[in-house]
Amino acid sequence: MNTVVLIKQVPQAAELPWDSRTGRLKREASEGMMNPACKHALEAGLRIKERHGGTVMAVSMGPPEAEEVLREALALGADQAVLLCDPRLAGADTLATSYTLARAVERVCPDFDLVLLGCHTTDSETGQVGPQMAEELDLPAVCDAEDIQIQGKRLTARRVSDGFLETLELTLPALLTVTTQEFTPRDTPLGGVERAFAQAQVRVLDAEALGADSSRMGAAGSAGSMLRVYSPTAQKKGVLLKGAVKKNVQDLLDRYGDRLGGLIRKDLGLEG
Amino acid sequence: MELNPCLKHKLLRKTVREFAEGVLGPIAAEIDHEARFPWEAVEKMRALQYFGLQAPLDLGGAGLDTISYAVVVEELSRVSAGVGLCVSVHNSVALYPLLRFGNSEQIKRLAPDLCSGKRIGAFCLTEANAGSDASGVETMAVALRPVGGQDYLINGTKIFVTNGGVCGLALIFAVTEPGANQRAASVFLVESERPGFQVGEIEELAGMRCNPVSSLFLEDCRVPAANLLGRPGDGLKIGLTALDTGRLGIAAQALGLAQGALEAALRYAKERQQFGRAIAGFQTIQNYLADMATEVEAGRLLLYRACSLKDAGRPFTVEAAMAKLFCSRVAREVTNLAVQIHGGCGYSKEYEVERLYRDAKVTEIYEGTSEIQRLVIARGLLSQPGGRPVSS
Repeated sequence: MNTVVLIKQVPQAAELPWDSRTGRLKREASEGMMNPACKHALEAGLRIKERHGGTVMAVSMGPPEAEEVLREALALGADQAVLLCDPRLAGADTLATSYTLARAVERVCPDFDLVLLGCHTTDSETGQVGPQMAEELDLPAVCDAEDIQIQGKRLTARRVSDGFLETLELTLPALLTVTTQEFTPRDTPLGGVERAFAQAQVRVLDAEALGADSSRMGAAGSAGSMLRVYSPTAQKKGVLLKGAVKKNVQDLLDRYGDRLGGLIRKDLGLEG
Repeated sequence: MELNPCLKHKLLRKTVREFAEGVLGPIAAEIDHEARFPWEAVEKMRALQYFGLQAPLDLGGAGLDTISYAVVVEELSRVSAGVGLCVSVHNSVALYPLLRFGNSEQIKRLAPDLCSGKRIGAFCLTEANAGSDASGVETMAVALRPVGGQDYLINGTKIFVTNGGVCGLALIFAVTEPGANQRAASVFLVESERPGFQVGEIEELAGMRCNPVSSLFLEDCRVPAANLLGRPGDGLKIGLTALDTGRLGIAAQALGLAQGALEAALRYAKERQQFGRAIAGFQTIQNYLADMATEVEAGRLLLYRACSLKDAGRPFTVEAAMAKLFCSRVAREVTNLAVQIHGGCGYSKEYEVERLYRDAKVTEIYEGTSEIQRLVIARGLLSQPGGRPVSS
C-alpha cells in the first residue's frame, strides 16, 4: 500500500488579521501548525501502513515555512516528504490547488494506491480540494470517512452523512477525505523529531518540476478570485417600541418578521 | 554565531509543549496537592522516549543534542516542574554517566531499560554529612575478599534522593577504602530489587511535590564488581562530570518555571480589573512584566550557550554553573513577582503561580547550591590567565 497524504500548514491562531487591500490573511502574524484534519488523515495513513505495509508520503503546497509540518509528518512516521514551493503557485483557489496537487501526486508517487486528505482546513473551510482532486485524478472517492478497511484492492469506508451511517466500497486506487472524529493522532516521539532532521529529507519542487500546465496553476489558473473580505459588523443601536402592546407586536413583526425562523412564523400564523 | 532556534528545536518545543499541556496540564495541580507520582503520564512518556533523550537511537534513545535536552526539560517544567525534575535527573545524572563512563557490557545490560524508562534513574551522593562537601561520603563498599573481590557489600544511608521512591537503578557513591579521602569514593550501579536496598519515607517538601524524593537505605546490599562504574576511586570525577550536565537540566527546569510564571502573570494582568481598567495598563505592573521577560530571555541565552558548548565538545563547566546560578535566581524572582501581580489570588492554591513559587526555591539548592555554583565559576575564572573563562 503506497499512501500519499496531503498536508496543509494553517495559522495556529483562531483569528488572524488580514490585509484589507488584498483580502489575504496575514499568515506571518501567527505560528503555523498542521491542519487538524490533515493530522487525522496522516494518522489514518500511518495505521494503514502499520497494518498492510507499504509507505506513507506526505505532500504539501505552501511557502518555505511549510517545511515544518512536513518535518512533523516525518517525525510521526511518514517515510518521505515533498514540498511544492513556488511563488507562481501562490494565490491559487481550490480549483487551481486541486489541479496542482493532482499533478504533483502523479509526479512524485506514480504508483500510489490511496490518496488521503483532511475533510477541510481551518483557514478556509471549503472542503473542496479532496473531491476536486479525485476528479482531476479520475479516482473513486469518499469524503468525510471515519472508518477505513482494506482487503486486497477493495476499500470499505464508513461515514456519517445527514444523520445516516453509510458504508461505501471502492476499488483502489482511490481518494478519501478524513474527518477529525476518528483516527486521533498519536503523540510525536522525540526520537522521531531527531530522525525527521537527521535521517530524512524534504524534497522541494517548483512549478516547473511538475511539468504541468502553468496556466492552470496559481492565481493565473484560478477561476475564482476574492473581491472583498470584511468582518460582519454588529448593529449597536437599540430600538425602543412604545405604546400599546398590540401595536408594538405588529410593529415588531413588520420590522423583523422576515427574519423569524419557519417554526415561529407558522406559530404566529405568518405562513399557511 | 547562530542565536535563533533552528527548525528542529522549534518543532521539538512545539511537540513537548503540546504533550505537556495536554497530558500534564490537567493533572499538574492535583499531583502537587496529593504529592502523587503521575505514573499515567510517565507511561506515555516512556513510549515517547523522554527517558532516553540523548541516548543513541540504537539503544532506544531519542538521539537528541544538548540544546534539545534543555528545551524538553524547560517545556515539561513550564507545566509541571516535578515531572521536569524526574526527567532531568534521570537523563543527566543517571543515564548520562552510565553512557559516558560505563563499559560496553554495562551499557548493553542497563542502558536499554533506562532509555525506555522501565527503570527510572537516581543519583545518590547526598548524605547526612555529605552534600556540597562530596568528601564527606560515609557510605561504605567493602570488597568481599573470600570470593576473590567479585562482590561488594554496601552499607549506608542516602538522603534527599530525587526519584528515590520510584527508582529502578541508583548510582550510589560509596567509599571503597576505609579511612581514605573522597578521591577513593566509587560509584556503584545498584538495581532497586537487590536485597538490602530499601526506600525510606517520601519527604514532605515545600515544592516539587509530585516527585517522590526519599532516603535510601543500603543494608549489606551485595553488588557485583561488574556494577562498579568506571574504576575504583573514580567517584569524584564521575560525580562532577554528571553534575555539569545535571546543572544544565536544573537551569532548564528553572527557566521553564520562570516562563510559566511569566505567562500566568501576563494572562492575569490582562484580566484583572482595578480602578476601572486591566492592571496590565498600570506602569508598575508593566515594569514588573518587562523585567520578568528580560530576565527569562537572558537566562535562556546563557543556558543554550552552555548547551551548545557541550554539543561542540568544548569545556562548559563554568558556563553550566553560570546558567544554573542565573536561571535559578530568575526562577525565584520571576515566580515571586508573578505571585505579587496576582495579589491575594497568587497566594491561593486556586492559582498555579502559588505552586510555581514553591517549586522555584529548590532550584537554588539542589545539584549544587548557588554558593557552590559561584565557587565553581570563581575557580574557573581564577585558573585562567587574564581571568576569562575558556569559552570567551
